[in-house]
Amino acid sequence: MPVDAASQAEREQIERPDGADLVVGILDAEHAGESGAILAMAREALGGLTGISRAVVLCNNGVLSPDPVVPEAQGADVAPSVILLNLQAPDAAEPHPRSRFQAYRSVLATAAKLEARACAVIASAPHAAMPQWIYRLVQPILELGFDLVAPHYTRHRMEGLLNTSILSPLCRALYGEHLQNPMGPDFAVSAKLLQLLLDQDPGVHRGNGGNVAASIASTAICGGLQVCESHLGARAQPPTDWMNVSSLLAEVLGPVFLDVERQAASWQKIRGSRPTPGFGSPEEVTEVSGVVDVHRMIESFQLGAQTLQEIWGIVLPPTTLLELRRLSRLPPDHFRMPDELWVRIVYDFALGHRLRTISRDHLLRSLTPLYLGWIASYALQVETAGPAEIEARIEQLSKAFETSKPYLVSRWRWPDRFNP
Amino acid sequence: MWDQVAQDLSHSMTGMLSRLAGLLPGLVGLVLALLLSALVTWAAVAILRRSLTAVHFDRRVAQWGFPALAELSPARSPTLLVVRVMACLLMLLGFLIGISAFDVTLTSELAFRVFAYLPNVLAAAFVLAAGNLIARFLARSVLIGAVNMNLQYARLLSAGVKWLVTVLSVAMALEHLEIGGGIIRLAFGILFGGIVLALALAVGLGSKELVSRSLDREAGKAASQNFQEPVGHL
Repeated sequence: MPVDAASQAEREQIERPDGADLVVGILDAEHAGESGAILAMAREALGGLTGISRAVVLCNNGVLSPDPVVPEAQGADVAPSVILLNLQAPDAAEPHPRSRFQAYRSVLATAAKLEARACAVIASAPHAAMPQWIYRLVQPILELGFDLVAPHYTRHRMEGLLNTSILSPLCRALYGEHLQNPMGPDFAVSAKLLQLLLDQDPGVHRGNGGNVAASIASTAICGGLQVCESHLGARAQPPTDWMNVSSLLAEVLGPVFLDVERQAASWQKIRGSRPTPGFGSPEEVTEVSGVVDVHRMIESFQLGAQTLQEIWGIVLPPTTLLELRRLSRLPPDHFRMPDELWVRIVYDFALGHRLRTISRDHLLRSLTPLYLGWIASYALQVETAGPAEIEARIEQLSKAFETSKPYLVSRWRWPDRFNP
Repeated sequence: MWDQVAQDLSHSMTGMLSRLAGLLPGLVGLVLALLLSALVTWAAVAILRRSLTAVHFDRRVAQWGFPALAELSPARSPTLLVVRVMACLLMLLGFLIGISAFDVTLTSELAFRVFAYLPNVLAAAFVLAAGNLIARFLARSVLIGAVNMNLQYARLLSAGVKWLVTVLSVAMALEHLEIGGGIIRLAFGILFGGIVLALALAVGLGSKELVSRSLDREAGKAASQNFQEPVGHL
């Protein structure tokens, strides 16, 4: 992983022999032009940690002062010395997720270069909570010996839908860890995990579009490293772009399915799951009352069921297609997608991605109406539910993923065998 | 007089029979060439099929990014397709060699012309195959994209794109085969123009929906789904 995003002066700083104990990447454009504030926040976060003599903060907003390096001038003997470096500004022409993946790679590469004991990436912290987030992510690594600290956010019922519906239960079923957000976007890794990530075949990283975040959790778990979660509170999220859901699915699920393929030998041996140790206390979810209009999503699902049968038929077995057709005829008020059906769809798409029975981009984009159908069904189910009921609903889905794991294993090993 | 008639008849019959007898070695040669080529074809096909099966050719074709080739193949097996194409080519070669055995100027010229025409046939076949693959790929892209944009006429758009590319590739193949000439160009122009016009009308009539969605998008992405609470995917 080259340090390709740093300037010459920054490289000189990075290559100084004294290295750093901690590298923090702040990948949020909201903090543009706040070099002083970022340094102050980093100092505040590091104040509670012991054994840190030098920390490097990387910021990717690209619009800080033209001087690439802003060293912390005061109190190097008393407090940890903090250095702020700029990562290259994201290319405006590049899609947002791809520039984010580049930034992840640069932060991890810098941490490896500096032989840091821990590396944290902060991508969605609200301004006021930044110091606490840095502390909560880094502390379990530096003081408790964990290797990966994944985030646990306080979410409203309609937040983190892709995580709720696919990423988290898939990670739980395949790798046996209950992680709310296996792909971050905020996380911290130890030097050991960093080394494992860097030792992976670079071709794999090129193949998965550089989305290193997709393989962090699986690499840690399959490598036998210590994984935990840290309760961070509510996160700052950009407004949802409903017109580009298919691009999002392709960007996120492509690398995840590639990683599933890469780790196939490991996850086929894992049985059951266990709760992941958690740090910090979960915050109360503030109740938001609102009307959820799911009609358009159901329409989208119905249109998909009418027109994409031919494409779905390449990856889904006939019984699933039959159930989908039946589901598309239900009136909106009774629209409910059974968990078992959704789980089989996800598993069959993961298998279809592996077998390349159709173009991978087509495959992932054709999942969009099904995903919107699941959201509609979920939204109707939790419309009047409280936090505890929502948790129970998510738990039920996760268990369905675990229960159906033998189906995936069987299809993975014998893809040509008929599966009713 | 009758003697002369009988003599003429006998001459013509002898000539006819001797000409037929002259053709016999050629016919035997043709049959032998066909038998030999059938034997060679059988052996070559058996070796080729075993080799392709051994290297998992069907799976590799899909992995190389040509899953559509399986759909075009008999029994959805690209191996079978390659084997059958090879068998046809070998049999054709044997037939042409057999024809040459007649040692008649006409047959030799025929064989020469067929050989000279073969590159055109191969080029046309390649253009048709490539056109078919591209048409399927583009049709699928358009179908998925249109469904994801919630356009009700997604199937029509997809079919339009598929036919556009198919008509284009067929016209190009006919051009390579030197069949039709000006008529093909004229027919292609009319057909292509007709499809474009039909698509333009379909899109134009249905564009109200598209414009309203674009306006939705401009007005506010989250608002387009009427959610009044925080919504996010990741």
